[in-house]
Amino acid sequence: MRTPRPIRQSRRWLPGAINILVVAALLFAATFLPPDTSLGEVRRSGTLRVCVPQSAAPLVTGDPAAPGYDIEVLQHLAERLGLRLALNINPAIGRDFNPRNWRLTRAQCAVIAGGVVDSAATRGFLQLLPTGVETGWAAIVPPGEALGPVGTAAVLPGSQGLDRLALSGFLRENGIRTLAARAPGDLVAALETGAADIAISDRFTIATLALDEDARILWLPEPPFARFPLAFGLWKGDLTLRRALRDAMDAMGRDGTLASIAERYGLDGGPEDAADIGELFG
Amino acid sequence: MTPHTASGIEIVHLSHAFAGRKVLDDISLSIEEGTSVALLGPNGAGKTTLMNILCALIKPDSGRVMLDGVDLARQPDAIRRRIGAVFQDPSLDTRLTAWENLEFNGLVYGLPRRERARRIDEVLDLVELGDWRDEIVKGFSGGMKRRLEIARALMHQPRILFLDEPTVGLDPQTRARIWSYLEHLRTHRNLTQLITTHYVEEVAGHDRICIIDRGKLLANGTPEELRARHGTSMIRCMPRDAETEAALRAAYPDIRSLAGGRLGVALASPDMLDAFLATYGTRLRQIQIDEPSLETVFLSLTGRELRDRAPGDDTAAGVGEQAI
Amino acid sequence: MNDLIPLARGLYGIWLREVMRAVRDRGQLIGGVSRPLIWLLILGIGLNPYFRGEVYGEVRFVIPYTYLQFLFPAVIVLNIMYTSILFAVSVIWDREFGFLRAILVSPVPRGLILLGKILGGSTIATAHGGLVLILARFADITLSWSQVGLALLLMFGLSFGLTSFGVILAARVRSFEGFGVFSNTIILPLYFCSSSIFPLDPSLTRAQTAALYPEWLVFLVEINPITYAVDALRGVLINFHQFDPRLGPAVIIGLAVAFFFIAWLDFRRR
Ligand SMILES: Nc1ncnc2c1ncn2[C@@H]1O[C@H](COP(=O)(O)OP(=O)(O)O)[C@@H](O)[C@H]1O
Ligand SMILES: [Mg+2]
Repeated sequence: MRTPRPIRQSRRWLPGAINILVVAALLFAATFLPPDTSLGEVRRSGTLRVCVPQSAAPLVTGDPAAPGYDIEVLQHLAERLGLRLALNINPAIGRDFNPRNWRLTRAQCAVIAGGVVDSAATRGFLQLLPTGVETGWAAIVPPGEALGPVGTAAVLPGSQGLDRLALSGFLRENGIRTLAARAPGDLVAALETGAADIAISDRFTIATLALDEDARILWLPEPPFARFPLAFGLWKGDLTLRRALRDAMDAMGRDGTLASIAERYGLDGGPEDAADIGELFG
Repeated sequence: MTPHTASGIEIVHLSHAFAGRKVLDDISLSIEEGTSVALLGPNGAGKTTLMNILCALIKPDSGRVMLDGVDLARQPDAIRRRIGAVFQDPSLDTRLTAWENLEFNGLVYGLPRRERARRIDEVLDLVELGDWRDEIVKGFSGGMKRRLEIARALMHQPRILFLDEPTVGLDPQTRARIWSYLEHLRTHRNLTQLITTHYVEEVAGHDRICIIDRGKLLANGTPEELRARHGTSMIRCMPRDAETEAALRAAYPDIRSLAGGRLGVALASPDMLDAFLATYGTRLRQIQIDEPSLETVFLSLTGRELRDRAPGDDTAAGVGEQAI
Repeated sequence: MNDLIPLARGLYGIWLREVMRAVRDRGQLIGGVSRPLIWLLILGIGLNPYFRGEVYGEVRFVIPYTYLQFLFPAVIVLNIMYTSILFAVSVIWDREFGFLRAILVSPVPRGLILLGKILGGSTIATAHGGLVLILARFADITLSWSQVGLALLLMFGLSFGLTSFGVILAARVRSFEGFGVFSNTIILPLYFCSSSIFPLDPSLTRAQTAALYPEWLVFLVEINPITYAVDALRGVLINFHQFDPRLGPAVIIGLAVAFFFIAWLDFRRR
């Protein structure tokens, strides 16, 4: 007969609790195992290769003095990981809607930047690292008295690939006339001359404009309009690299680096939320 | 409402069959509150089946059971609170400690925390397991387990206690201890007890004895009554050869065949013994003369011996057999 | 009210015993840990390269997640399935070692005994599923507290149904011996046919799916209730549904109700 194992009544839960703790600790320890070699490969080459479009202001500008929000963030990231940043400029990005035609491969770059939208469709192909900025339709409301019913809206579709049909359909339905702008400056001019009551474009285009101090910038509310967070795209399955970049990114968020870069590109603060459609269009 | 005619146990025309085979056959029995009754019967007699019916674990085919004045068939839940049961087979969780087994039981009977703590100490003291309260039951000896089961059955202070062969397989000291706990309960708590056993030497101390065999209740009375009513002196002998056996069978038509080729002859009068010995005394290999006892009562009622003996009593029984 | 408190104590006691037993049972805990480790670490990492992207715009399965993330909720379900269905062992144990009688003679009503036992089993299974959540970091899944809460709720619902299923099995199995077979004849087939380790691509039409996989396999996956439980957990943990999002919770609740009812009928009969 086995000698009985004593359990003090007051510590009845102890053996069970110890078992649970051991098990939990074991599982937790297992989470530190590296699941793949992606980070190791990048470290071995010493270079973080990034595919970017030629220009996607303010994320990628091509201007060495102010290379763009995404580029500056990536520079910081690379630095923090002890890597060199190598840009692989691909003119096809942004020009063609089908990413398949961009012919981006794992051999060319580990990260895709410069306007990758965080959506289910994108996530089907890439894993994403949100960069903290978002885009979507926004409106400039001129300063002054409360907005009456909107008769004319100046619209500049921009290069973001936002849903133009949804916007024009909405404006038409509400009996708002559309004034097509050719360049960002046209928007400001239309407001100043009174040719339009309101100006609509994508958020980034508006961020580049020099506006009246008192002008309000509002998101077109969702629904029906969507807002798209932007992200860096990484190849699916590159878990360790993404984890390292995410940790560095989190650190940049905490120490204010991210905010200061955003401020430089007018991406801090951002548009206000309109209470509803009615507030915007009267 | 069921009329509260009598407390105690009232069994009326109870019958039960398993797969068409009658295991209990028209049992009627009434047990007064505060008495202890021993249900004596060999293996397979139907004792456990009766216990299971009384504990409302099995629904009988026919008949009625009143426990503490409540009809079992109508209000089983009301009765469960008032009965305690110690089963023939162990029913402890051997992976828990003694205390945990009792705590579980206290919870299941809905006792409040303070009450549980008090009663656990009380019953553990009663069965002298206080030092073992925090040990895992797996390591307990058979006797300790059985004592713990008795403690558990007492925890919710039942009015009626059923014990199904509580001493089977235990050593003599443990058995004596268990009987003394039960004796204590009977005298101090007015607890009605129904105890089954197939050890005839254990039944004498009870208020009443019921003898059951093949599902039939054969006798019911105090030990003295049974001895007086059914007890006869008995000769148990083993004839030396087939010739003697034939002669014996011819001389005593109601002779009984016993285990091991032995024969049993009931003695109607002391003279009969003299005559028997004079005729056959030298033609026997073995002879034993029993005074009227519960064993001879059982033998004369059932025509069978209670073959299983309590361990530790083997030697005592052996001494009784006088070889000639 | 005064009658309910003792009953609640009984329910608590029956529940507590199961939980107490489980946390002391090292063997069961080791199973609860090694299973997710094997499935997630070994299988997940082993197959990860086959599911990774090589050319932007071209992936074999267009699911908006990595393979590890896709596998993660299924591993939770696997852990729950094992613990729940093998809970039948505890029921058989009670029966074979006589403990059940000690409960049955008590004043706790039959239904409550069954409920207490199944709740105990579900708690253990949920805990085993919850343990897998510790690995979320590894699979690159970040969870908010509300996600964890909702996931645990779904896990509990699933555990309840499957534990009841285990109890039903126990009523139909004579001994422990028959039980080893269960994992091979029930748990693993259900698991593999639950869209757990390969996706039925939601962006494909049914006809396209059938072109990719043989019709019978698609059929098996679609009639398997575990498929929808996995789908419900994926919805909560990685916000991805292959089927109508309402279907998952509905199936989980349906299983729980139906199996508990059958278990109750069984239990009442004995
Ligand atoms: N569940 C059952 N199914 C079929 N037969 C049973 C069952 N339980 C007991 N029996 C039979 O009923 C008879 C009486 O059994 P039991 O009550 O256990 O006797 P005892 O307890 O006096 O030894 C035996 O012949 C036994 O084989
Ligand atoms: Mg018996």
